[in-house]
Amino acid sequence: MGSLKYGVSVYSYVNDYASVMTLEDAFDHIADTGATGIEILGEGQIEGYPEPSSAFLDRWFGLVDRYKLEPTNMCGWIDTRITLARNITVEEGAAELAQDLKLAARLGFKFYRPKFGVTSHELDPDPQWEAYVERNLDLAHQLGVVICPEIHAPTPIRHRVTDGYIQFIERTGTRNFGLMIDTGIFQDRPLTHWGSHQINDEARKHMEFLNGIKVPPEQFLEIAQYVVFIQAKFHDIDDSLEDLNIPWRPVMSAILRSGYSGWLSSEYEGLRSPWRAIDQVRRQQVLLRKLEAEFDAGTLA
Amino acid sequence: MLEHQLIQSTGFRNVGPVGARTGFAVRIRIPNYHGTRLCQLDGFTVTVDGEVFPFEQNSLGIRDEVYTLAELREETEARWGLTEWGEILVDKPGGLEPGVHKVEVLARIRYSYFPPDVHIFPMHEARMATICMP
Repeated sequence: MGSLKYGVSVYSYVNDYASVMTLEDAFDHIADTGATGIEILGEGQIEGYPEPSSAFLDRWFGLVDRYKLEPTNMCGWIDTRITLARNITVEEGAAELAQDLKLAARLGFKFYRPKFGVTSHELDPDPQWEAYVERNLDLAHQLGVVICPEIHAPTPIRHRVTDGYIQFIERTGTRNFGLMIDTGIFQDRPLTHWGSHQINDEARKHMEFLNGIKVPPEQFLEIAQYVVFIQAKFHDIDDSLEDLNIPWRPVMSAILRSGYSGWLSSEYEGLRSPWRAIDQVRRQQVLLRKLEAEFDAGTLA
Repeated sequence: MLEHQLIQSTGFRNVGPVGARTGFAVRIRIPNYHGTRLCQLDGFTVTVDGEVFPFEQNSLGIRDEVYTLAELREETEARWGLTEWGEILVDKPGGLEPGVHKVEVLARIRYSYFPPDVHIFPMHEARMATICMP
């Protein structure tokens, strides 16, 4: 039996969600893959965000119970550039984060991914992020929630953004802040679709900087001790269970050799054609489990 | 439930008094993968059969409120959820002829996590849609 825990992000089903899929449908699709965890977008799946009604909370806990899914991570956004005219203050940012942390804990989530505003094309987070988080470390500890910003293309592992988060962990010694890795950073072959659109030559030029940044999977080992959550980003898995963009063999090998034993949460981000995500997620769940079994059997390099 | 695509079939309609229409409405789902404060939206340009109606002049109706672009930009409390629709309200005396039209929407969404100079992200969708009533 492997050590990883498998979940699915409801983001995988975006566009289907609220058009051809309800929240309960999403629970059903996820549970049927054999996954045991559900990840959500806070301002997405939580009706009445940021103050859901007690009726919604009842429904949420009913679904968690019926489908036996454990809430894993809740995603949120800090609207740094709140209006065109002004940015939020440190106090406002800290309050936003506190509000989301309480909501996440209330729904049973153990991880919270904040998306901070950035100040550059290198995607340096607004320097205020450190104060937002530091003011909330005690709260996160009381709530039992780990705050985890994501390392996401075009930001690679070896980068000052990643280093900045690691320095914060080292400086504060906190256990309530860690890295989320989005496996899109390992993408080594280009995408053919973005959302519902085919990628033509012009689009390819515009998105070159993030269409496969090819981080070597071995680099996961360098930062594994700081990683608390993995979003298993993918776009297209064919009928032979081959992923056309993410090199899962070396990625899973590195993750497993590192000793990581947390969640792998499926995050489909391929062609947004109705219902396509449902089976794509099933394929990925099978693919990842097969690779873990191979690792356990000593046949995964 | 909503339709899968951004621009909805239902809700594409003339507005104002019958016989003296003041414009038309285009119903859309939120042009984003998550809900947001309204101030994170920076207007919607609508094109019908090639005629462009620029975002500066269009309003957004959501639930029981209507917001001009200036109001939208400052609305930091009200939000738009994934399961809700809104409608772009466009001034056009006389409205649109009943029948099938090519409708395009260019939604301007703001992402704080995009670099500042390109943080207003244009999302474009087009479809054929039908005006039923004059």
